[in-house]
Amino acid sequence: MTCLVYTHADCERHVTPPGHPERVERMAAIKLGLAGLAVEHRDCPLGDEAEVLRCHPAGYLARVKAAVPSEGWAQLDGDTFLSPGSYAAAMRAVGGVCAAVDAVITGGAKTAFVAGRPPGHHAERDIAMGFCLFGTVAIGAKRALEHHGLSRVAIVDFDVHHGNGTQDLLWDEERCLFISSHQMPLYPGSGRPEEKGSHGQIMNLPLRGGGTGHDMRQVYERVVFPALADWKPELLLISAGFDAHADDPLAGLEWQAEDYAWLTRHLCEFAGGRVVSTLEGGYDLDALAASVAAHVGVLEERGR
Amino acid sequence: MSDKPVDAMSFEEAMAALEQVVGALERGEVPLEQSIALYERGAQLKAHCAKKLAEAEEKVELIRAQEGRAVGTTPAEGM
Repeated sequence: MTCLVYTHADCERHVTPPGHPERVERMAAIKLGLAGLAVEHRDCPLGDEAEVLRCHPAGYLARVKAAVPSEGWAQLDGDTFLSPGSYAAAMRAVGGVCAAVDAVITGGAKTAFVAGRPPGHHAERDIAMGFCLFGTVAIGAKRALEHHGLSRVAIVDFDVHHGNGTQDLLWDEERCLFISSHQMPLYPGSGRPEEKGSHGQIMNLPLRGGGTGHDMRQVYERVVFPALADWKPELLLISAGFDAHADDPLAGLEWQAEDYAWLTRHLCEFAGGRVVSTLEGGYDLDALAASVAAHVGVLEERGR
Repeated sequence: MSDKPVDAMSFEEAMAALEQVVGALERGEVPLEQSIALYERGAQLKAHCAKKLAEAEEKVELIRAQEGRAVGTTPAEGM
């Protein structure tokens, strides 16, 4: 067995305006982080629109598609831009996470990492925001539940920003536990502990600005790991944003690369080690490379 | 939002500005890219408010101490 890493050249054709932090160069940083790891590389297949429609209305999908410019950029909100290659890139991210879920559930691999962009966890049912178009991790969870017939899935989102999109898409989904830890107050402003989902299956863990990896470990040990142990997921998905790193320019937490290794090691203890991780944020290129190396390094160890 | 430097603000001004910052962050009105800059301004404002409060507390303590001494040094008549 092995750890599969899904990526695609199309994800480098989602181009953001100069100075935008969610930029093409992130893919090169990730490649650097993955260099030397004994993972098996796969191309993300193009995602099926039917997978997107498990989470987003057809009208929204059509609007995003229609907004893609033939040159230059189209702006969807203060942060979110489309370039001519954005739709294909987003569909590769969707296809990658679905293929990774398939492989891990059917026994083709134990762990997988999907290095796609644009990221997904801020996209709500009907709203593109925060650099995100489609809720890739939620789409992966729906694939596991609807296509493979699993009954208990969990998502852990350790990106520094609240996974408001994933929360919105899975608000009524009682088969999926969604846990998000995030700096607060910070974008997008949601993610209070009182936001619990229709079935109490959503957990929000706000973290104070300036918090270190030590603080994170305490919260995960006290709250997240026991919740996962109770839930007994058959598959664990991770929204892997690396912007809680001390060097990240868009947030104010103080995690280090080894904190991501620690966290990944613990998360792999659940769901029989069947873990699919998908890229979200992380905007300092050196920190991103080091954090991806730490995270996927552990996925590779556990995938053997 | 006021452009006045944080250090020059009164406690009331800094509190009002801090409430604006926290409100904007909580309502999700701030783009992702600018959210951290606003958070950092909030942190500056919070530190400034805390400093002003600490100064006020020191003054109160000083007044209390002076009153205490004054009481202590008053001759106890009739004893």
